[in-house]
Parts: sequence; C-alpha cells; structure tokens
Amino acid sequence: MKRILLASLLLTASASSFATAPGGPGCGWGNMLFEGQRGLPSHLVASITNGTSGNATFGMTSGTNGCSTDGALQYNGKSMLVLGSIMTELSEDMAMGEGEALTTYAVVLGIKPEDRAHFASVTQAHFDEIFSSADVTAEQVHAATLAVLKADARLAQYVEQA
Amino acid sequence: MLRPLLLLALYSLSAVVLASPPPVSALHRLADETYWHSLGHYERGKLGGWRNYVDDDDFFLAEGGEQDPAAELAATLAALYAPADQGDRHAQCVYPARTRWLREQLSLTDLPAVECSEFTTWYAEVAPHSAVLVFPAAYLNSPSSMFGHTLLRIDQADIDTQGSPLLSSALNFGAFIEGLDNSILYAWKGLMGGYPGLFSLLPYREKIGEYSRLENRDLWEYRLNLTPDETGRMLEHVWELKQIRFDYFFFDENCSYRLLELLEIARPGLRLTAQFPLTAIPADTVRAVIDAGLVESIDYRPSRERELLARTEPLETEELNWARQLADDPQVLEQSDYLELPADRRALIQDSAYRLVRYRVTGEERDAANAAQSYRLLQAINRNPPPRLEVERPVLPEYGHESRTLQFGLGSRGDQTFAEYGLRMAYHDLLDNLEGFPMGAQIEIAQLRMRQYEGNRWKLQRLDLAGIRSLTPVTPLLRPWSWQLAAGLERVPEGDQDRLVGHFNGGGGFTWQLGGGLLGFALATARLEHNHDFGAAISPAAGFDSGLLWRNGAGNLLLEARGDYFHNGEVRRRISFAQQFELHDDIGLRLGLVRSFSHRAEAETEVQLQLRWYYY
Repeated sequence: MKRILLASLLLTASASSFATAPGGPGCGWGNMLFEGQRGLPSHLVASITNGTSGNATFGMTSGTNGCSTDGALQYNGKSMLVLGSIMTELSEDMAMGEGEALTTYAVVLGIKPEDRAHFASVTQAHFDEIFSSADVTAEQVHAATLAVLKADARLAQYVEQA
Repeated sequence: MLRPLLLLALYSLSAVVLASPPPVSALHRLADETYWHSLGHYERGKLGGWRNYVDDDDFFLAEGGEQDPAAELAATLAALYAPADQGDRHAQCVYPARTRWLREQLSLTDLPAVECSEFTTWYAEVAPHSAVLVFPAAYLNSPSSMFGHTLLRIDQADIDTQGSPLLSSALNFGAFIEGLDNSILYAWKGLMGGYPGLFSLLPYREKIGEYSRLENRDLWEYRLNLTPDETGRMLEHVWELKQIRFDYFFFDENCSYRLLELLEIARPGLRLTAQFPLTAIPADTVRAVIDAGLVESIDYRPSRERELLARTEPLETEELNWARQLADDPQVLEQSDYLELPADRRALIQDSAYRLVRYRVTGEERDAANAAQSYRLLQAINRNPPPRLEVERPVLPEYGHESRTLQFGLGSRGDQTFAEYGLRMAYHDLLDNLEGFPMGAQIEIAQLRMRQYEGNRWKLQRLDLAGIRSLTPVTPLLRPWSWQLAAGLERVPEGDQDRLVGHFNGGGGFTWQLGGGLLGFALATARLEHNHDFGAAISPAAGFDSGLLWRNGAGNLLLEARGDYFHNGEVRRRISFAQQFELHDDIGLRLGLVRSFSHRAEAETEVQLQLRWYYY
C-alpha cells in the first residue's frame, strides 16, 4: 500500500503536464515576502528521524518537483523559481546591500561577477521599488527588478538578453 | 513471479547477443571485488554469507540478489544487454554506476546504446562537480540534536567564483515519514527502526532554512577534495538509490553511515564504514572523514539565533530596551527621542529589532501584521544599514570527546569503601570534557554502574535509560525554558542500607548567566517512583533542583541541591559537589561529594574519585 502511494507520488512529480499556473502549485512563484517555513512537530523528532515529511523528493530546483519549466520562468537558462524560496533572505540582503541570497539572485539573473557589486548597490538604492510592500510576490519582485535594471546603463544589458 | 522468467529470457538473450561472453572466472573475480559489494550495499554476515542494508526488492535484479553478489552481478550483466528500446527502464538507465563499472572492468565495447533521457536530464540539472560534508551542530535547548546529523552538499562547477551554495543540492538520508500525527511516537518509531530510510535530493537552501532557522543549529561545511569524476560517480550511484528503501535505525544504519558508503563509492579504496561496527554518531563520522584526508577546508554558517545574539551583544541595556520596543511596535521609529540616538547605534538597534521579530515567528504561518512590521524595519535598515555582522567561530564540533565512556571509581559511603565500574553508551553530561559541546547540555543514553563493596559484595548501583538536561540561559531578549528528563533504576537511602528503585522524573525552570562561564539554574521537578518499601506501586513526588555550573581552568564544576517531597511524607534531599579535571581530550578525572538526607535513613556522605575514559 505504502509503495503504491510512493510510486504515485513519484509519478505525479515527474509528469510535467500537471503544472498549470506559472511554475505550478508549490513552486513558490506566488509566495509572498516573509512566507514562513514550517518544520516537524518537535526538535526531538527532527533530530531522531532526520527527515522532513514527504521527503522522498529527488528533484532539483525545477522540473521534477511539480514545477513547470516552461519559458516564462527561465531567465538566461537559469530557473527563476529559486526566487520564491529565498525571498525573505533576499529582501534582507538587498536592504543591507550584500549577502548570499543577493549573490544567488545575481547568478540566476546572469549578472557577471564583475558587475555584481554594482548590482548590489543599485538594488539597495532601489529597495523600496523592488520590494514595494510587505505583500509582494516573487513574480512582482522579479518584474520590478527588471525595471530597475533596465534604467541602469551598466545593468540594462542583462534585461535585453532575455 | 514474473521476474525469474524474465531473467531466464535475459540470460539466453545475452548469450546470443554477447559476441564473446566474459569468462566465468572473470565474473567470479569481479563479484569478489569490494567495489561491487559497495555498489550493492553488501556486508559480510557475522556467520559467513552476506547481509544487506537495502530493504527493497526493487534494488536487486537477481532472485535472492540481496544475499548473493555473484548472482546479482550475472543478472546485471545480462540486463545491460537487453534490447535498447526499453528506454528509461533499461538497466543501463536504472543502474548507471553499475554500468560504468562493469563496462570498465570487462571492457564491454558492444553494449547496446540506450537513451536514458530521465537520468541525463536529472544529472545535467544537478551538474555535480564537487561535494561538501555538512554537519549541523548541536543546539543547546535541544539536547537530542547532540547526536547530530550529516548530509552532503553537491556543488556545481565554479561554486566559489560564479555560483552560490544556495543553488547547490543537498543529499539527505533520513527516515521517510508519512502523514503528520504530531506525537512522541515518531521519536520512538525512529529509534526502533519503524520508518524506512530513503535518500532525497533537495535544494540546499531548504536545508539551511530547516537547520539554521527552524532548529537554531549552526552548520559546519567540510569541503571535500573529491574530483569532478569522483563526485559524478557518487551521483550516478545515488540515482540507483532513488526510491530505494533502506533499514533505518537511529543508532547505526543512519544518515552518517549511508554517507560514508557513498564516499567509498566516490573514491574506490577508501575504508570508512569498517570503522563503525555498532554505532555511527555523526561527529565520529566527521572525524573519520577528516582522518581519511578528505577535507580540504571548513566553512561555518551560524544559526539565526546565534546571529541575533551576536548582533545584540554590543548593545547597552538602554539600547536593548529600544530594540524590544521597536520589535513590539515599529511606530517607535518615528519617535523624536529615538531619532536623537546616534545613527550608527540606531543601525544596530533596528537590525536587532528586525532579527528579534523574525525570530519570534520562527516556524509559524505567515502573519500579515508581523510581515508589515518586519517590512517597516527592513525599510529602516535599508536607509541606515548596519555594518556587516561578524560571528565568532566556535570550536569545531568534531573535537569533542568520543561518545562512549568507561568509568572506574574509588570511594566511600559512610564507613564503607567501594570500587565502581561504569559504562555509558552515549554521550555527554554536564560535567564531561566540554570542548566541542555546548555548556549546559546533557544527553545520556544507556548507562550502567556496578559497585563492589568491601567483602566483595556487588551491587547494581544504577541503570539509566536516558538522562537529558538542557540549561539554556535567559538573555535580555530571549527567555528559553530549561528542562530535564530522566528514567531508570537508581539507589535511594533506606534504613542503614540503600534501595534500588525505578524512577521517572522531569523538571522545568530557568537558567541565568551569572558571569563568564558561570550558570545558575532553578527548576521545579516532579518524580514518579516505584519503591518496594512504599505502600503504593507508584509514588509521586514534587520537588526542586537548583545549582551552579562553573566552567573553570581545570574543567567543569557543579554545585547542586535537590529535594523530593513524596505524597506519603517521605522527604529526600541531597546536596552535591563535583569537579571534573580534564586530563586529556578523551580522559577526565572527577571528584564527587554527595550528602543525602532522608526521613527513612541517617544522613550519609559519599565521596568518590572517578576516572572517565571516552574510549570510542
């Protein structure tokens, strides 16, 4: 019985037809800022089982976790779906002008290493535009970022590539 | 039922297709190779033959393959020659690591060319290039986390120059839990092997969120010197383990053991698993990996809680008050008396307040009011950013003492002298050598102590099933509970002797940091006791437990007073003093003094000098 359940889980996960909205459900594209992460009921359980519930996943950033990888969410060949899962960290990094999540965002946007410091300072200066409220979604943040990049002489190239 | 028939068909088929089948002797030689045993997760049984950790028929091609490496090898070889039109279900696609190895060993140049689109897509997306062993450190307020966990991070090329670890994947082995009925049964089932173990591959950033945010555990990242080829080989094997169920036992066939097996696949010739015949505690396995020369460099990723504490550390009391007010109500940002503070101090206060707001909602659903507050503070941080937060790196966790302990003591109780012999399976108590452990945390599992009194009288002194204590100091901003739990058999005063009783007890309270390396704690306790001298089968008691824990130059010192007030009128109190002398990484000497009082016996004093050897 369990095995059947498991198998069907895997099946749905690998069937790409299942995704409808951009990214599909559970992809985090509609995630709002400060979306929480929930865990197992207790530390004790977490440290004894070392598992998270439903952790038989074998997919990666996109494609196999019930997320569609159609063009809308591809950016320079990298999946923008990452954004949904690092939004809170990204907002913190962007406010302060540095950090790992900001670097990650630069990587998926295809920003070359030599332009990343500039990217950090430009996005920090336009923090209020990119994160325009507490309720922005990943999709809105992405669109606002592109608008900011477009207005910057040095960073505009990264928008036009798309 | 179908499988034997299918295999038979494959055998005969391969005999036809194979231009020149490899000689039988070559196959036998290969089936004896350690690498083949690693690929099939075979281990030599204690009484000869083979046993297997994989608890899943889907992993084996041969009937009885889980106990017969040679049959499995023959079946695999035959399956590799199956017609190519099976696509993703072809053995070459299901077993890429076996395929590669057999192809190389037997120079199989005539294998059918199969298109494995699922595997190829997956592999391209993971794009393995190098690997990092990740060890989440123990969290003080969750002593069970002292057992730790290990996972692997799989990085893509140019991780340092071009990429980010947030885009890497995490390879995790853990129990597979279905449904969430939120009960202690989980822990029990996990301990007893009630859940199957599965590998999973997920974004590393999710694991960071889980450990550094939800569980407040620091992450240690040990960069391994595996080459891209070795890392790739390991991932090919990981693909073979997709949805394959292993036995999962907390103590030995756990995450750390499985990862060691993978490293043996990555680099043939490594001997890691053989060092752990019975238990594999993650810290020990980290040591084994370091000793094998696999570690290139070590990174440290502090938990969210540690960052919060590091940020608030330079703040004065007044400034902490501002941080608290801001966290409760961001309107304070506009107050004129707040704005009179110097800008650089406000930067620190705002950042502290933001971190506190986020910390408070850890693990909860998104809440609109809290989100609005957080956003308000973020805007303030954006306008007046604080300097980069530097968190001091603690001592590496794998430098802690070994987990199993032998104890040898000499002492006297009243006018009788005794020798005491003890064994503890795991792991650490409040007084044990502290390096690599958080101060104020204890978890002991399975401890036995025997006493030999004058005249060769032997007594079972105590048998502890478990003893957990978590003394987490309150800070100006955080107010964590301190708590303890213990169960087992122990001796209590009774007449002019003592009496072995069964007990289960627990307590809760608070701990205060009284100075550098000095903790004071006070807990209210409750106890259930099974005592032959009491009328009832189970006698309840309420009481207290308080004391001082001091970290000094020689080791740890514990001064403790506890009392139990039974419903039947018995009052039992004891005060104790103990000092550990840390003689060596894995050896400690402990001096203990206990004075106990009871309504049912004369007051009695016990002195003991005990040698503790953390031997394994």
